[in-house]
Amino acid sequence: MSYSCTSREAVCNSQDASSAKKPSSSNPCSSSGGDTGSSNNGNSSRGSQANTSPKPPAAMKVKKGCNSTDVGVPVTTEEELLRHSVITPEDVLGLQKITENYLCGPDENVYNIDFTRFKIRDMETGTVLFEITKPPSTEKSGEKRDLDPNAGRFVRYQFTPAFLRLRQVGATVEFTVGDLPINNFRMIERHYFREQLLKSFDFEFGFCIPSSKNTCEHIYEFPPLSEETMREMILHPYETQSDSFYFVDNKLVMHNKADYSYSGGP
Amino acid sequence: MKATLTPEAEKPRCSSTPCSPIKSTVSGYQILHMDSSYLVGFTTGEELLKAAHKWSGAEAASAEALPSPRAKPIDLGLHRASRVYKTKSRYYQPYDIPAASGRRRRRMPSSGDVCLKSLAMEPSRALHGPLPFCLLKGKRAHSKSLDYLNLDKMSIREPADTEVLQYQLQHLNLRGERMFTRNKT
Repeated sequence: MSYSCTSREAVCNSQDASSAKKPSSSNPCSSSGGDTGSSNNGNSSRGSQANTSPKPPAAMKVKKGCNSTDVGVPVTTEEELLRHSVITPEDVLGLQKITENYLCGPDENVYNIDFTRFKIRDMETGTVLFEITKPPSTEKSGEKRDLDPNAGRFVRYQFTPAFLRLRQVGATVEFTVGDLPINNFRMIERHYFREQLLKSFDFEFGFCIPSSKNTCEHIYEFPPLSEETMREMILHPYETQSDSFYFVDNKLVMHNKADYSYSGGP
Repeated sequence: MKATLTPEAEKPRCSSTPCSPIKSTVSGYQILHMDSSYLVGFTTGEELLKAAHKWSGAEAASAEALPSPRAKPIDLGLHRASRVYKTKSRYYQPYDIPAASGRRRRRMPSSGDVCLKSLAMEPSRALHGPLPFCLLKGKRAHSKSLDYLNLDKMSIREPADTEVLQYQLQHLNLRGERMFTRNKT
């Protein structure tokens, strides 16, 4: 398990409101692309674009995220948290397994945070493993909800076994925010294999200027997994799962889920 | 792609070469790049639900595939997703069917039955894998007619109790027939 972290990060230098997309639905990409054991440090870098007249993006600052620890955090259950009117970071840090339900509804994203681009790369070689973007939505707001309101909050990755051999993966996420300023935007992401917590990451995005587009890279450092654990993860696709909790001012505003296969096939 | 039980030999990192940029669209997302050495698939909850709706419409309306939280180890050569779906079909008789020839007949599954079917013959469905539990619950909320069976409260790890299901269906669906049977006797 990893140590706790309470780092706070500086605000990015410039904003881009003109190019910021009008946030529509909360349909974010998971900001984690991998899954191995807990590790020391996650580093992140952040930048955003200027307002009105286009300016080159500010140099991304390296931000230190970290792995959360369960030490000293009271154990919580999903059932308990569902009774809370407000869910805090400390609440989710006590969860011992993947949640069955979402702990907040899509409508609680009152800040209209919208993830528009996601990329993961192998830090050792620089190889880009995956990159995805979301073009501006042209559909009406109610169309996607016909299927399931939570469908847009879930993604599934099908990795090959080789992915489990990686040591450091950088995840770059681009997102836009709505008209409200965002204080202390923070993500806690917890990965499980079956009911075993593999790792918990804690990244802070800091302050986001209203109507801005922001980019942040988080670096996940994965410790080696035992051969047996890797074998089990490969043999049992989609039993590796993650919860991504997003907080503003220590209040849960978004909850995304993902599951993973490492068998190299669907 | 066939699964292997032994981990792949570690590839020298410098030898990994990205594939050609793949520009495909998944539920409004545009995939700009996917290195098939590490990632072979990406899908969203919307795509999974669409696929599930498509296949449940192609089969009986009530057929559902329940994801197994503890999938059994997969044999060589078998597709993983189809293995996850491979379960027993359950047929049950809520009432005895008097046989004209002296043999008891089995009631065939109707639209009210919940049957778990193998996906070995449905490779395109298997490509998506099982529905995650968080979406399965939402899907159940929109499904018809089976809520009274409280299937969502049944433990997935335990086999369905055929006798309990039979009892429930007897009382809920066949009340009229039983009364008719009583009146006749």
